[in-house]
Order: sequence, then structure tokens, then C-alpha cells
Amino acid sequence: MSIILELKNIYIEGNHRHRLKKINLSINAGDKVALLGSSGAGKSTLISVANGTLTPNRGIVALNGESLKLISGRKRQCVATLWQDLRLIEQLNVIQNINAGALGRHNYFWALANLLGDLEKDRCLECMNASGLNKEFLRTPVNQLSGGQRQRVALARMLRQEAELILADEPFSNLDPKLVNLMLRMLLVKNEYSSIYVPETILMSLHRPDLLKHFTRVIGIIKGEIVIDQTSKGLEPSDLEWLYNEE
Amino acid sequence: MFFRNRLLLVISTLVSLLGLTTKPIFSQPTLKIGGIPDQYPEKLNRLYGLLSTELGEALNVSVRYVPVTNYPATVTAFRTGSIDLVWFGGLTGVQARMQRKGARIIAQRDIDAKFHSVFIANKSSNIPVIKNINELNVLKGRRFTFGSESSTSGRLMPQYYIQEAGLKISDFNGGMPGFSGSHDATIALVQSGSFEAGALNEQVWKDNLKTGRINYSRVKSIWRTPPYADYHWLAQPDLDTRFGKGFTKRLQSALLGMNNNSKSQAKILKLFGAKKFIPAKVTQYNEIERIGRQIGKIR
Amino acid sequence: MALQRRMIRLRIATPLLTIIPGLALIPVCIGLIKGIHIGGIYIIFDFIKASISPSLETEVIVNSLKGIQVTISIAILSWLISTIIGVILGFATSNIFWSTFSGVSWIAIILRRLLSILRSIHELVWGLILQSLLGLNPLVAIIAIIIPYSALVSRVISDQLDALNHDALKALRNIGSGPLSALTTATTPQIFPVMTSYGGYRFECALRGATLLGVFGMGGIGTELQLTLQSLQFREMWTSLWILGATMLAAEKSIKYLRLHNHSIKQNKKGINLAYIFIVALLSICLKWILETKSDLFSSINLHQIDLPTIEGLNIALNSLNWLSLINSTLITTFLAAGIAIGTPPLLIMLMPSKRCLEIQSFFWAILRLIPPPLTALLLMMSTSPSIFVAAFALGLHNIGIMGRLLKESVESQKDNIFNAIHTVGAGERVSWLYGRLSAQSSSYLAYSAYRTDVLLRETSVVGVVGGVGLGWQLQESLSSFAWSEVYLIIFVFTILTMLGEAFNEQSRKIWLRSEDKQSSKFSVQT
Repeated sequence: MSIILELKNIYIEGNHRHRLKKINLSINAGDKVALLGSSGAGKSTLISVANGTLTPNRGIVALNGESLKLISGRKRQCVATLWQDLRLIEQLNVIQNINAGALGRHNYFWALANLLGDLEKDRCLECMNASGLNKEFLRTPVNQLSGGQRQRVALARMLRQEAELILADEPFSNLDPKLVNLMLRMLLVKNEYSSIYVPETILMSLHRPDLLKHFTRVIGIIKGEIVIDQTSKGLEPSDLEWLYNEE
Repeated sequence: MFFRNRLLLVISTLVSLLGLTTKPIFSQPTLKIGGIPDQYPEKLNRLYGLLSTELGEALNVSVRYVPVTNYPATVTAFRTGSIDLVWFGGLTGVQARMQRKGARIIAQRDIDAKFHSVFIANKSSNIPVIKNINELNVLKGRRFTFGSESSTSGRLMPQYYIQEAGLKISDFNGGMPGFSGSHDATIALVQSGSFEAGALNEQVWKDNLKTGRINYSRVKSIWRTPPYADYHWLAQPDLDTRFGKGFTKRLQSALLGMNNNSKSQAKILKLFGAKKFIPAKVTQYNEIERIGRQIGKIR
Repeated sequence: MALQRRMIRLRIATPLLTIIPGLALIPVCIGLIKGIHIGGIYIIFDFIKASISPSLETEVIVNSLKGIQVTISIAILSWLISTIIGVILGFATSNIFWSTFSGVSWIAIILRRLLSILRSIHELVWGLILQSLLGLNPLVAIIAIIIPYSALVSRVISDQLDALNHDALKALRNIGSGPLSALTTATTPQIFPVMTSYGGYRFECALRGATLLGVFGMGGIGTELQLTLQSLQFREMWTSLWILGATMLAAEKSIKYLRLHNHSIKQNKKGINLAYIFIVALLSICLKWILETKSDLFSSINLHQIDLPTIEGLNIALNSLNWLSLINSTLITTFLAAGIAIGTPPLLIMLMPSKRCLEIQSFFWAILRLIPPPLTALLLMMSTSPSIFVAAFALGLHNIGIMGRLLKESVESQKDNIFNAIHTVGAGERVSWLYGRLSAQSSSYLAYSAYRTDVLLRETSVVGVVGGVGLGWQLQESLSSFAWSEVYLIIFVFTILTMLGEAFNEQSRKIWLRSEDKQSSKFSVQT
């Protein structure tokens, strides 16, 4: 089993104490990892380190064996992030935002063409279909969509990226149950989605213990340190309680 | 959506056809002539227009008049080679020669070797006629205008004489003189009363008297300055290279040879206010250069 | 401590602050009237009379049309090129550009300093310098406008870029997008509306700038205006003025319609179509001019040298001119003109706020906008003694036209609810206007006034030339004496003054726009 992402000895300093301390984590291909912890424990920080947004004060992040810092932009394409604030480009329309997911694979002129017209419409429609977004919204500017629709656009963009690893920061908060179901099925349950490649490896932070059964692995964080790292099957409810109450 | 409206398309096409017609462009070397804008543009257009035709025939080249809007621009245009043959005043001629080494003095009018300025005054200002230079201080505290700042007959020499009389230009009303920009404008401004007095080119003054543009009830001349050297033709040093050997000499002969026998030449000479052109020497302008440095117009 | 508390603290409300600068009118009018003489008044009357009977002779009209063709072409070419360069430079001088690529931003800082120097020199001064280098070439006017305008556009764009929310950009970089692709995709859609509205404003400026350069001999309708004014041919001058006015009005309206078209809120179909036709007409006029003069443009491009400054020369220049009085008169002219330009429009509107009066005032402002300040100054100088007041008045009048239009548009866009509320309380029309419409816009108006004052400082180089005062006048004197050391020193002093003005402008904008949202204020864009 190949290791896709590896965090080695990560330290992130904060104001009074470390935000992350002595983090050692390997994510193998096919792992579905749930990241648990109370608010402020460091889940979002860990995800930020994993996708390269935050540079650790100490330690190395390796993607497919290469240090994340030294990796060229193009290789980063294999990590997709579902941000909590979505990070869509408000003034552009749906198809342009979805195509933005593929920017890592194409050159500058493709990027320009995307701004000027419809590019690779069929692929985008497939992603929209998979995300449950009605195709009539293809050219709607994103700032005219509702919250749920925007979430689906973000999802479609992620699918368009065709990454190997998905990082998600509390993707289920503020979602209606129908959308939660769809995302669950798409990301965590083995599914055939016609020609769309859905990454099989995922690291997701969440507050939903009821969903843990879909994950293969559970990581628990308390005060910036990993205290639980085991398969989800072996997790006891008492472990969860301890995780959330330890302060 | 723009092109769906066919009417719009047709109109746009018609309008853009405007852009497709072109004029034929001159390709042979053209002699560009010009002069300092010391009089009204219509006059200059006529004068240089006639001269262009005449010189073109005499020298067998195409000649074009290039108008300039102010004195310093004329000097700059000469320096950068934008104009080949320029009718300069004394001061501007010195400036031009300093900036373009090798420029050739071609000719001057018969009246230019000993040129004069006149001082004029508006009759209602009650400024008396001046009999000798020391009486110039009647101008103290008056509204006074020169021509262009770089004019020899309209500023340099008048200012020199004023200063010789013990007056400063800050003694004028308002602490400063006005600058009308041209001799014609000086006449108009003094005549209308905008300024009580002014100084200008004597030949232009006499010319305006003849053509009846002067209103005797409003303006009169009050003094005539001592003589000095003024206008002359200046040519680029490289004319022989561009137009053929001996071209400059031929140009000079053409100008010096103008007389009243030919109708076209007579018209030109009349507009110039002279009977003929005569040769000019560099040494004539030494005094101009000295005064120019003294007043600060030449550095 | 108790004493401080007892002192009455006078706080002047911002709406009143917009009117108070109008007090500058008092010394200026007094100064003008003192120097006036009857003969001169006739000249002004003749000028005004000629406005309703412009010369209709074929030759005059043909000359004016040829002139406006040159001016339009210069404006279009210089605007196009300066906008393109400005956008590129705007990206290159923004911090976000460098941090996206390599992380070093000192290059941006150096470039920005350099550009601010280029910006602080008025296009007229560039034109006069370039004329000495290139001679009588239409390119002079074009390049003279391109240099400062590119720097201005670049400043606006880099400011906008750095002020954006960069989360989307970071996200795109994160998923492996190339830096340039990410930058373009994430930032361009966000700054596009600002770019188009500022671009339209810049075109109007280019048109006015090309006209002004023409007044100083660089060709076009400005030259026609100056020649006819100097020979006191007022009727012929008005022929050119009306043609210029029609062009500028059509340009302003077209830009307004096209801007609304982009936002697709209020669409005026007929207006937009007319705007498109006008644009095509302009472009074809420009194309025709290029084809006719292309040989002239490039034949005489040989750079002629001007003397570079020597320490000795600079020293002499330093001592020979009375710098203190020059700077003094320049600053006084600026502030007087600014006072007139800022205070008069709100004052007039407040005194006569009815719709009809507003239309009449609009018309007068359009005329004031039309006539370049040096010509107004020339006209005034024929009727009154040359003085600071002539220069200030000429500059002030021209800028009343600009500030007036701005005020009118912003006040009209102000919603009616506050006005209605005050009105129903029983307050008169004037007071309702003061409270209901001006108040909300006064902060933005004042912020723009600070910016306009900075521009006025630069413009004194333009009128000083004819008004006989200040650095502008001395610049012309030194240029005509070809005293290069003095010229360099004058430009240097001007640059310092303008940069100080820009810094002051920044500070006042921060104060006035503190509570305003950056997007909603119309004035915040036009830097």
C-alpha cells in the first residue's frame, strides 16, 4: 500500500502553546480517515498543514514521497481540499468555477479561455450531475446561488480536479440532510459514477460520531497532539467521550 | 446581441469605411520652411504659402510651410530638424545657432540691418510722446505689454531700452508686463485699452497703418527706438547633403534675386514689407547676443 | 483639565465643509475686480457674444474638423496604450503578484516609487520636454500622455488588487494551478468592474489632455483654439469650441451608457446603440489619421540631446531664482483654485436646487469643462492685470465644471428617503437638499476634493504659463531661454510638491472615507 501523504514530526507554534505538537501521520492510499477533536483542538490547523497552506515550524510534509515545500505546483494537483468557506470565485459563473479545479493540469492560455467562454462543457456537466446541481445553472454567476447550491459547485470543482487525496474541513456543517447524504455516498461509499473518478483516499475533520462507521481510520486530537490513531472498528464510545471531554 | 441589429451593422460599416480612404503621401525630399509666429496666422499662411510656391519653382523641389505656434517651439523645431529654412528674429536666431552648430545665415531684408521698434500707447491713457530715452519712465505704474517673450523687436530690445532708462519691468502696473504673443496682438490689446502701452515691430506697425487696421482715435505711436539688427533667414547645415551639392548657394541666390519685376515676387516682397533681400553677417548679431545674455534670455 | 472641558468644541458638519472652501471666491473676485479695466470688459463681452454666432465659413469648419480629428486620434492612441501598459504595471507593482510568484515584494516597492515620480509630472510638462527631444512630431503628444497616465492606471489597479480578498487565489494555487493562471482567474473578474469605470474616466481625461497639449502647440483642436484666441477671432474660436464640445459631450454620454450596459441594471437600448456607433466613428477617424500621417510620425524620430544637468548649472539655478516666492505663489494659486472649484458647486446647488436650475447649471458646467484653463486665463488677462487671481480663477472655473458634474451625479444617485423625511417635517427645499442629499455624499465629495486639489497643484504648471505666476510661469520662461538646469530644478521642485500633495491626499481620504464602504463610494476609484 503506498503512502500518499505523510506528516513527519510536525510542530506549529501558537501564542501560548503549540497549536500542533509532535504530529506523525501517514495516510495510505484507500484510507478513509476521520479527524476528531473538540473545537480549537487543532483539526483545521492540521488540514491546513496537510494541503500546504500552513508551513510548519518544524517537521516535514511529504506528498508521494516528495517534500511538499519543494514540490512544483502541478504535482500539488493530486490533493483536493473542500474548504469550509468554499473559496469559490464569486464573479465567475458555475462552469468557470468548476473548470478552476482543473487549472493545475492546463496552461495559461487554457486559463484565459476559461474566462472568456465555455470550456469542456461536457466534463463540467458530468461533475454537476454527480453533485446534484441542475444543469440549467451552468452559466449562472456563483454569487447568485443559494448556500446549498454553492456547496454543490465546490463539490463539482473537487471532482473536476481528479485528485488522489481529498482533505475536507467539516464539510457537513450547515448542510441540509439531502446534500449530506449525497456527499456521504460520493466520498465514503464505494460507488460507480459513470466516468467520473472519485478519489478513494480522504482525510476529513468532522463532528459527527454517527458517521464514523463509514471511515476506515480515526484520528483524535487533543490540544494539538494526536492521541488516537486506530481503525474505526476498534473505537469504543468511551474513547469518544474521553476525547471530547479532555480539556 | 450587437450584431443582431442589422441596421446597426450597416451604419457601423458605413462609418468605418471612413477609415479606409487615404491621401497620397509625398515621397520625395521636401524643403520645409517656416518662421516665428510674430503676426496673425492668416497673414503667415498667405505669406509662406506664396513663398513656398515661388521657391519651389526656382529650386525645382517641393516646398512646404510648417506652422509653429510660439517662438521657442520654432527654435526647437529648427534644432530637431523639423524645419529646414526658418525666418528668425534676432534673438531667436542667436538661440537657434547656438543649439544647431553650423547653421547658415542666408539673407535678411533691406530693413533688417537697421531695424527699429515702436512704442505705442492708448490715447485715453494720456501717455505723452517720448522725445528721448530718459523719458521712458512715464511708463512707470502703467499697464504695459510686450509681444512674445522671445521677440527681439517686441521684447528684448524694448526691455533693454527701458532698463537703460532706469526703469525695471517690475515697475509696471501689476508688477509684471503682459506678453501678447505677437505684434498684431499687441496692437489689438493696446488699441482696445486692455493695456495702456506696448512695444512692437516697426514694420508691422507701419504695415497695419497702411492697411487701415489702426484706429487713430484710440492708439498712437509714442517713440521709435535706436536701430539694431533683427530678422534673417537661417538654414540647416545639411541642406547640400539632402538636396544636392550647391543647394544652399542656389537657395541664397533665389532669395537675394527677388525683385519687383516678377509679379509673384513683388507680392511676396510686399507682404514682407521690404524692397529686397540682402546678405547678412554673423557679426551683426553680437549686440543682440550680448543683450540677450544680460536680460537672461540666452544662457 | 477642567478648562479643556469648558472650552467649546466647534465641530463643523461635513456638508458645510463642502461649502466653506467657496470662501476663496472672495479674495479672488476682489483681486480680479481691482485689476479690471473697461476696455477689457468689452473683449469679454465680444467673446460671449461670439458664442451664439460662430463662424460658418467652410475653411474654418474644415480646419476645426481636421483639428478635432488629430485630437481624437491622439486621445484614443494614448489612452489605449497607457491603459494596457497601466494594467501590466498594475499587476507588476502589486504585492500580491510578487507573493504569488516568488515571495519577494521589494521589486514592487521600487517600481511603485518610480511610477509615483512619473505620475507627479503633468502631461503638459512631459510634452514640453519631449518636444525638445523629438521636435514637431505628433508622437510627442501621445507619449506625453502615456507616461503619467500609465502610472496613474497602474496605481489604481495595484491598490485594487492588494485590497481584494485573496482566499480564492490561495485555494487555486493550492490545487496546483500555475501562478499566472491562478492570479488571472481569481483576480481579474473581481477588478474588472473597477477597470471599466476607471478606464472610461481616463478616456475623458485623455481627450481633455490632448486638447490642452494642442493649446501649447502640439497639434489638434487645441492649437486652433489658441491661434484664434490670440488673434482675437472669437467667432472662429467658437466654431472650434462647439465642435469640441459636441465631441466631449458625446464621449461622456457614450461612456455612461456603456457602463450601465455592463451592469445590466438600467438598459437604455437606443442610447447604447448610439454609443456603439459613436465609438466606431471615433475609431475610424483615428484609423484614417494614422494612415494619413504614418510617414510623418516615424520619419523624424532621432533623439536630439538636451544638456544634462551639471552640479555647477544646478547651483546657479538654485541661487538665481526666488524659489520661496515661486513655491508660495504656486501653492496659493492651488488653494484658491481648489476653494473655488470645491465650494461653488454645492453652494450653487443649495441656493437653487430645483430640477430646472440643476439642468441649467449642468449646462454651464459642461461649458466650463470644455474650455482649457490657459485659454480662460488668456482671455481674462486681456481684461485685467495679470496676477495670481487670474490664474486661480481660470483654474477654478474649469474645475467647477468637473466637480459640479461629479456632485450632481452622486447627489442624483442618492435615494430619496432622507430628503422626503426632512421635507415632510416642513423644512424648505434648500434645507431638505442640504440634509437629505448632500449630507450623505459629503464625505465622499470631500475625499474627492482632496484628490482634485492634488491634481490642481499639477495643473498650476499649465496656467502659470499664461498667468505670469508661480513655477509654471517660470518653467515657460526657462524653457524659452533654454536654461536646462533651471528647467530640471523646477520640475524637481514640482515633483516634490506633488508627491507631498499625494501623501496628504492619502491621509485625508482615510479620514473622510473611514466609514464608507470601498465599493459603494463612486469617488474612491478615481485616483
